[in-house]
Amino acid sequence: MRPPSSLKQEFLKKWITGLQRCSSSKRNMSILERTKAIKLSADVAMASARNSTTCWSRALIANASKDGSDGKHLVEQILGLESERLMMKKASTGALVCNKRIRSKKILKRSCRIPRTRKCVPQVALATSIAKRMVRKRTQVLKSLIPGGEFMNEVSLIEETLDYIISLRVQVDVMRGLAGVSELVNHN
Amino acid sequence: MSSRRSRQSTAGVSRISDDQIIELVSKLRQLLPEIRDRRSDKVSASKVLQETCNYIRSLHREVDDLSERLSQLLATIDTDSAEAAIIRSLIM
Repeated sequence: MRPPSSLKQEFLKKWITGLQRCSSSKRNMSILERTKAIKLSADVAMASARNSTTCWSRALIANASKDGSDGKHLVEQILGLESERLMMKKASTGALVCNKRIRSKKILKRSCRIPRTRKCVPQVALATSIAKRMVRKRTQVLKSLIPGGEFMNEVSLIEETLDYIISLRVQVDVMRGLAGVSELVNHN
Repeated sequence: MSSRRSRQSTAGVSRISDDQIIELVSKLRQLLPEIRDRRSDKVSASKVLQETCNYIRSLHREVDDLSERLSQLLATIDTDSAEAAIIRSLIM
């Protein structure tokens, strides 16, 4: 894992580049438009700082550049030539890996449907089945929170979650720092 | 085989290597602010997942709030001070 300080620097660099590109095209943005641009450029910078090494970063950029969404033009501006390269990578590897995972998951599910006799006390069985249902439910929620989570198996999901949380923390720290500086400047 | 089955009924997680999952879950616990302070080894998987989801949601909310704050601040940077010029040249 890269040390967080270099991740911060890379995020900051990419984010500032993205902000500059956004602002240069549209001089007079409404507050809402600017908010969206700031958030989008921050997300895209965070994802591209990972250089397509993680599934969530690819999914985030892919979602932002979906055809017909407002973000597509913005993402192309922010990433420039990089966006084409990232798109190609996602198309070729991401979909294939995801399909493989879905297929292997289906095979695993089918083979495990063979009934097994369990000789445990009914109360224990009830408790464990409730626990399993809770875990499954919460796993579903987690999958909805991580970009691209619906395609991952449990192990990858947890790995991606770890990386995603670290990146989110870096994003929040840097944004907070910039907000603090801007506030100081404004008060002067 | 039997040990794995009994592990499954208590852990309630998937059939992929249990050790892998336990290791990852413990790493996740390190990141979560509340569970890390509790210092107990008996936190269930579902509790960890719940805390993780809550933490991610709170981080998302913070990003949204910060974006809004930044957007308001940047819109009103009209002063002529040297620092404002620096920020303007940095970001706009």
